Amino acid sequence: MRRPHSMVLGASALAATLALSACGADGGGSSDGYQIAFLAASSQNGYSQAVYEGIQQAAEDADVEVSVKILDGQFDANTQLSQLQNATTTGQYDGVIVVPNDGPSLAAAFPLPNEMPVATVLAPIGPDINEMEPQVEGVTTTVAVPPVEAAAKQAEQVVDYCAELDPCKVVLMLGQLDTPLDTARREAYEQAFASHDNIQVVATVEGGYDRDQAMTSMANVLQANSDFNVLLSNADQDALGATLAIEDAGIDPSSVFITGGGGTKEAVENVKSGRWAADYLNFPVSMGSAAMDQVLNALEGREVESYVNADEVGGTEPYATKETLGDFVGEWNG
Amino acid sequence: MATTTAPASRTFTGRDALLFIRDYAVLLLIALLVVVLAVVSPSFFSAANLMNIVNQNVPLAMIAAAGTFVIISGNFDLSTGAIFSVGAVVAAYVAVETQNPWLALAAAPLCGLLLGVLNGVAVTTLKVHSFLATLATSMVFSAIAVLITKGSLITVSVEGFSTLGRGRIGLVFYAVIVMVVFVALLWFLLNRTVFGRHVFAVGGNQHAAELSGVRVSRLRLSVFALSGLAAGLAAAIGVSRIASGQPQVGLGMELDAIAAIILGGTSINGGIGAVWRSVAGVFLIALIGNGFDIMNLNPQLKDLATGVIILAAVGLSAIGGRRR
Repeated sequence: MRRPHSMVLGASALAATLALSACGADGGGSSDGYQIAFLAASSQNGYSQAVYEGIQQAAEDADVEVSVKILDGQFDANTQLSQLQNATTTGQYDGVIVVPNDGPSLAAAFPLPNEMPVATVLAPIGPDINEMEPQVEGVTTTVAVPPVEAAAKQAEQVVDYCAELDPCKVVLMLGQLDTPLDTARREAYEQAFASHDNIQVVATVEGGYDRDQAMTSMANVLQANSDFNVLLSNADQDALGATLAIEDAGIDPSSVFITGGGGTKEAVENVKSGRWAADYLNFPVSMGSAAMDQVLNALEGREVESYVNADEVGGTEPYATKETLGDFVGEWNG
Repeated sequence: MATTTAPASRTFTGRDALLFIRDYAVLLLIALLVVVLAVVSPSFFSAANLMNIVNQNVPLAMIAAAGTFVIISGNFDLSTGAIFSVGAVVAAYVAVETQNPWLALAAAPLCGLLLGVLNGVAVTTLKVHSFLATLATSMVFSAIAVLITKGSLITVSVEGFSTLGRGRIGLVFYAVIVMVVFVALLWFLLNRTVFGRHVFAVGGNQHAAELSGVRVSRLRLSVFALSGLAAGLAAAIGVSRIASGQPQVGLGMELDAIAAIILGGTSINGGIGAVWRSVAGVFLIALIGNGFDIMNLNPQLKDLATGVIILAAVGLSAIGGRRR
């Protein structure tokens, strides 16, 4: 008689969960005004949450009623493609904003069955990760920066720092080298250093966008390269983890050139305090707002910008140093 | 005159060699890797680097050591990564709210123990396979971690919070001392107590164990509680190290732990295994990562090398097993 008891328990738990879920649902599509779907790369991710915050701010500031529903892409390209197809097919939504997990694969959802504005944030939709103008019919606007261009500018800061050093030993820390985006960044870094004989890339490692993994990788690198001069990373999470390892090795972070990417609040603090030399800032809240503004422009019949340069939405110099940061505190935690 | 014949000493045969390879494949590969890395990179074989490797892998080694009990008893725990995440964010949250680092760090293992007990209750009362039950609870636990942090991260700047993860006496990190004590206790529990014998008995033949008077449900609940406690304790060390609680920090850790346990030679079918094997499995994989970073090898080849070495370890064990 235990099994029926277990089944009742299980069924009760299921019913309770569904009831709770229903209570927390937004009920998209049932109210007046515009219904916007936000397809987050992952709802568990600080960057996506910051974009969502910006979208919500713009929705509140809009002169029409707008409700936004967030969908969790679970860092999975197929999940997000299905969500995009569903959101543009069911008639439940008037517009879509997406932070792509994989821009090229999302192109499969176009052309859209129902015409509606689609804004992409951080990365373009289509085969070319450096092309910001819409690559497929149906993408309304792209709020991003060409990743290779941004990586090259980061590398230029390193070249400037290394000008007086020979050799200048550089550690490259990329997020995930099994992704086209980070592979392209790595190539951009290496290309920028190729014409400078004094610059030696002594290690290239993955930080995994994870402080603990980055700390481990850097601690390993330091065993053979404790005399490095530069840590160049595309991700603040990785640079923050690496900084812990650098400190554990008895090296003062301010005695070397450390630069990350992302503009997290902690990274900005590090630049302001002089522990890091620089950071490439991202403005995810402002980017989310900009995307929502363009979607609303499209819905209201106003002029739409097909490309919004994400470097220009934050109101401060994106390639930040202590001198340029001013009152900027960062838009997100990561 | 009476003569006595000394007993002939037994010679080490090829069969013995195969049995040795089967039983100690993971140690042989560790030895091989250590030799190769020491020859190729002068930076590898230093006390600082060896301590570095051990310290980096303390959390995973603790989870794998406790997970050995789960696997030997014929179960799986797919929720350890999620418990690690919950423990980390709870510790960070408590630290920020109370400004008490030790209360915060104590919260993580307590939280892990509670979630481990819940796993045990789910497995024993719902009568579903532990694989499915812990897969489901891992989703629940992950969601809890996200809800606590609202998807972001909790940065901790409370003085003393990083002592457990980053403090050391000379070259030896506190975390390593905690791990050594914890693993030694688990070794004793598995090999020198009635509880340990029951773990083997239930994993070897649950029905026979039940008939012999072993309280199987209570034992299963205990091994999941132990696994949860280990994940929570590991989380305390992990969160102390990076001074921030992130909801995804434990992502994939459960599979890393299971891989290390099986790689070490513990039977995936239950009934056979050892704590030291799982710890050895963790450090075999760790050596590969360390070697790649030190020698500046292409990180894109790391997974390839890791996979080949895991296959080699499993293959060596299998060859020895077939020829036995």
